[in-house]
Amino acid sequence: MERKIIHLNVADFSVAVERLVDRSLITRPLIIAPQVARARVYDMSEEAYQDGVRKGMSLARARNRCRRAVILPPTPERYEKAISCCFRHALPFTPQVERAPGSGHLYLDVTGTHRLFGPAPDIGWRIRKTMRRDLGLNPIWSVGPSKLVAKVASRVVKPAGEYIVAEGEEQSFLAPLPLSLLPTVGHDIENCLREVGIRRIAQAAALSRQDLYLLCGRRVETLYQALRGIDLSPVHPPAEVGKHFFFQHYFSPDSNREEIIQTAVLDLARQAARSLRRHGMCCCRIGVTLTYSDTVKVTRQVVCKHPATNDRELEQLAVTGLFRCWRRRVRVRTFELVCMRVSPYVQQLSLFQDINKKQQKQKELEDAIDVLHQRFGTSALTRGMTKE
Amino acid sequence: MIGTSGYSYQEWIDSGFYPPKTKSAHMLELYSRSFSLVELNYTWYQMVRAEAMERMLTRVPDDFYCTAKLTRTMTHDISDNWRAQAELYKQGIKPLLSTGRLLTVLIQFPPSFRRTPENRQYLGRLLDWLQSLPLAVEFRHCSWAHERVYSGLRDRGVTMVTVDAPALPELFPPLDVATSPALFYLRLHGRNGRDWYSGTMQKQFNYSYSEQELREWVKKITDTTTINSECRRGIVVFNNHVAGQAVNNGRSMIRLLERQAG
Repeated sequence: MERKIIHLNVADFSVAVERLVDRSLITRPLIIAPQVARARVYDMSEEAYQDGVRKGMSLARARNRCRRAVILPPTPERYEKAISCCFRHALPFTPQVERAPGSGHLYLDVTGTHRLFGPAPDIGWRIRKTMRRDLGLNPIWSVGPSKLVAKVASRVVKPAGEYIVAEGEEQSFLAPLPLSLLPTVGHDIENCLREVGIRRIAQAAALSRQDLYLLCGRRVETLYQALRGIDLSPVHPPAEVGKHFFFQHYFSPDSNREEIIQTAVLDLARQAARSLRRHGMCCCRIGVTLTYSDTVKVTRQVVCKHPATNDRELEQLAVTGLFRCWRRRVRVRTFELVCMRVSPYVQQLSLFQDINKKQQKQKELEDAIDVLHQRFGTSALTRGMTKE
Repeated sequence: MIGTSGYSYQEWIDSGFYPPKTKSAHMLELYSRSFSLVELNYTWYQMVRAEAMERMLTRVPDDFYCTAKLTRTMTHDISDNWRAQAELYKQGIKPLLSTGRLLTVLIQFPPSFRRTPENRQYLGRLLDWLQSLPLAVEFRHCSWAHERVYSGLRDRGVTMVTVDAPALPELFPPLDVATSPALFYLRLHGRNGRDWYSGTMQKQFNYSYSEQELREWVKKITDTTTINSECRRGIVVFNNHVAGQAVNNGRSMIRLLERQAG
């Protein structure tokens, strides 16, 4: 059956949310940036964008480019709440709704729902209508046969509008567009191709795999397929298990102080360990993602030999992951931790009495802390840390 | 000429009109083998684009014609910048207009668009702004069934769409008033009165016309004393797309008209 993916995108999401809170901001250019020294732009309104402000730009430079702009600090909790509301508006049409990385993006897989809800464009239009009425947000909606094509279609009409791309039209739709609109093409690939005079998707699509490899090096297959509009990646609804084992910390304000970052990371690791124990699970790998103030994102994974479930093991993994990602002096905005290869915790009992007493003591202590946390909340008892 | 409102429906694969695994991009080509007219539906959802129109024209035969719905930002969700939208629409529809494939632009208003002084003014301004295009207006509210509306449309040479819909209070009645000698436009929505206000198109337009109901319309549109004598061209569009009923009814009507012609 033909795939029908709807991409909903609230352009300049954080700006849209701030404007909902304070209606007087609607008529003024807005820059969202933490109010600290050497701060970077988190998001900006269309007016500020037109004046040359870009995400990740230093706030001082952004101020110079758009002097009339109002500057507000980011409020991630507010954005999280708003995107959750958008998510709830999409759910009645399909359980396959994915909250894509970055603010204000949702993918809906509405394949096969036409008998229930009618054609996909009608669903897109209806969601937009209800989001506009109930939330005051006006998302772009686009329909495509894949997440990639739907996202490019949204980028074509940004900041407002809609676009429908039918299956079979992917190549003719993408061909005349600039390479920068293709999500898989980063600045490095774009620059490589620009050096040989390639600026449009059609020009790059005319190259063979070998030519692309010579120009761009790795990731040729993904690029080769993306240039043809091929993207088989499914829409990932937030699974129950995933929801329990994904943790995120926003640094407010952005920070590059080791003690602050490490404290937050250790706290997330303990939350993860607690959640694993509560669900009777363990994990064999953790993924960490660090986002810097200038929107640069680094993701790393750490694998452990034995299934991890206690605080100490998770703390070690998280800190290892942190230092694998954290290589720049730029301030850090968010840290995400996800437990991977999660499976039920099965303890193989020993045939003989060789239990490590120290480990046993540690486990008893953690069990006692878990009981206290469940009864009185996590703030009732917190772990201290000595500074070496 | 007879056609359907839209052509890209997955359920038409299920109903057998399109072969299994037909991609949306190939549907129009297959559709044009059965009908010589289509009402472009997607132009209501998204602003029409010249490059998409040009691509579309390469897929259909030379004797294939279209009508195109006006984008919803000028009919249902009227935006403050509707004039700019109208200009974009005029630019986007050019390939169809210049090749003579566009029969008319359908301005379809919702039932909430009643005959109030503001709405009358808006309609007048919109028709003036789009006067370079062949236009047809469809009302859904009965307040527009008024002689002054007909004469206003007649003065502008704008077709008033004749609708076949359930006999419900407040709905625009099925009139056979010809306001433009260029075109008579009949849209058949089905008569599913029970689900008309259900809020989902799948229920609202779920209706199949009986042979008798179609015969009545055939008699009306071929009657030399009324519409047939006043208009140079007539088009019939079936909007009861659910489960491919529009296709079946369209084919039946073609058969009835051929039989009538002898």
